Amino acid sequence: MNEIGKALHELNTIDAMAKEDKWLNQIHPLVKLILTIFYITVTVSIPKYDMQRTLSMLLYPLVVFVIGEIPVKESLYRLRVVLPLVCIVGVLNPFFDHTPITKLGNLIITGGIISVLTLMMKGVLTVLASYLLIATTSVEKICYALQLLHLPKIFVVQILLIFRYITVLLREAKRVMNAYMLRAPGQKGIAFEAWGPLLGQMLLRSMDRAEVLYQSMCVRGFQGEFHLEKQGFHMKDACYFLFFAVAILLLRIFPVFYMVGSLL
Amino acid sequence: MSHIHMDVQNVSFAYEKDKPILQKVSFHAHEEDGIGLIGANGVGKSTLLKLLVGLELNFQGEIRVEEIPLGKDTLTKVREKIGYVFQDSDSQLFMTTVREDVAFAPKNYGLPAEEVNRRVEKAMEAVQISHLADRPIYKLSGGEKKLASIATILSMHPDIILMDEPSVALDPRNRRNLIRILQGFDHLKIIASHDLDFIWDTCSRVILMNHGEIIADGPTEEILRDQALLEANGLELPLSLSRSRG
Repeated sequence: MNEIGKALHELNTIDAMAKEDKWLNQIHPLVKLILTIFYITVTVSIPKYDMQRTLSMLLYPLVVFVIGEIPVKESLYRLRVVLPLVCIVGVLNPFFDHTPITKLGNLIITGGIISVLTLMMKGVLTVLASYLLIATTSVEKICYALQLLHLPKIFVVQILLIFRYITVLLREAKRVMNAYMLRAPGQKGIAFEAWGPLLGQMLLRSMDRAEVLYQSMCVRGFQGEFHLEKQGFHMKDACYFLFFAVAILLLRIFPVFYMVGSLL
Repeated sequence: MSHIHMDVQNVSFAYEKDKPILQKVSFHAHEEDGIGLIGANGVGKSTLLKLLVGLELNFQGEIRVEEIPLGKDTLTKVREKIGYVFQDSDSQLFMTTVREDVAFAPKNYGLPAEEVNRRVEKAMEAVQISHLADRPIYKLSGGEKKLASIATILSMHPDIILMDEPSVALDPRNRRNLIRILQGFDHLKIIASHDLDFIWDTCSRVILMNHGEIIADGPTEEILRDQALLEANGLELPLSLSRSRG
């Protein structure tokens, strides 16, 4: 399987995972969406030198991983492309912020080092929270939640269509790549001179495919709106929301790991 | 005159002015008609089907579906009556699971949830894919995709069915199954296909096209037995007939 095939496979796997019949997947999507936004906002709001509280926030994704029965190893592997990018943010902080904060033996730890570590952690945590949302909630359900939040219809339709077209584009790319590789045995990657026509072909084919897909929607009565499946709000949804909203707030207020450490 | 019918009068169409795809195409189709649209590659069969369902509107001439003239303002009304199966099933199916895709049209036409479910189950049952209901589209085989796309239009309860190469990608059992379904569909159906044996089994009337024009329009038995006519227009006798002629 080439890289594009792998990407397509991973996209399909996440989508299938979100549609599994698990307890966490059945929680109302609006609850999960609001909790994720809340968690990200709270995490981002932690002061830049406060590593202890930032670290405490790790508890939420850990608990969700466990109750959602989401494989941690595969998930981290899937995030391998995004996580390094997140870690690059603030990499220059140590050069600009020399405020001494603490000492580790003879080594003075500056504010720059602490802030870059905190930033990295925040980045990883927010990416993890978003991943957990899409691993337990299908795109259709997330869009349904966005509809409930009165996000303009056009944005919801755009998100759904983009999700559809990504797979269309990837499939076209896979076909073109396979056709190329079959006629270029032993070649690593694509020859520079073939990039132009190859990308052009892919673009034209994807546009063509997207147009036919749109036609197929139109002949079946599509008039700019997806009729997403409705989901009722139950007591378990309210309990889930209350429990995690309070937990996130407590994690923000109390540096749990530090407190546990002090007790020992 | 029966309730379901379609009138095509002097329809011409071209993407580029000097390269006409359809030229003065005219025919009338009744409720009981099963019309096989045949012709060699590139003669305009698929384009004609697209015109009939309003996917191309800048044509000359007139198309009437149950007395409604096909145009921008009447598209929704006309499309509600027509089920169109695309040549490439990958282009037709865009929701994530079979059930969602089959439910797409009834939901768009504002039917209540119970009715949508009833239609979805019935449509999947008709093409014998109920066991695939919750399977993701990307996991279906070519033949299963074709059956799923047929179910997507059956759930619309259309008055008219248009199909572009429906037998492509089907194995013999599914092909036979589709023939049975189409024989049971007692409204108007127009099927564009190179599979003349399939046309022989499903259609009572054949329209033969070449260079964007209608060359012959008549009973299936008459046209599909006319070897000279078929060969003059880039086709051959159906396999079943050529075998029996030895």
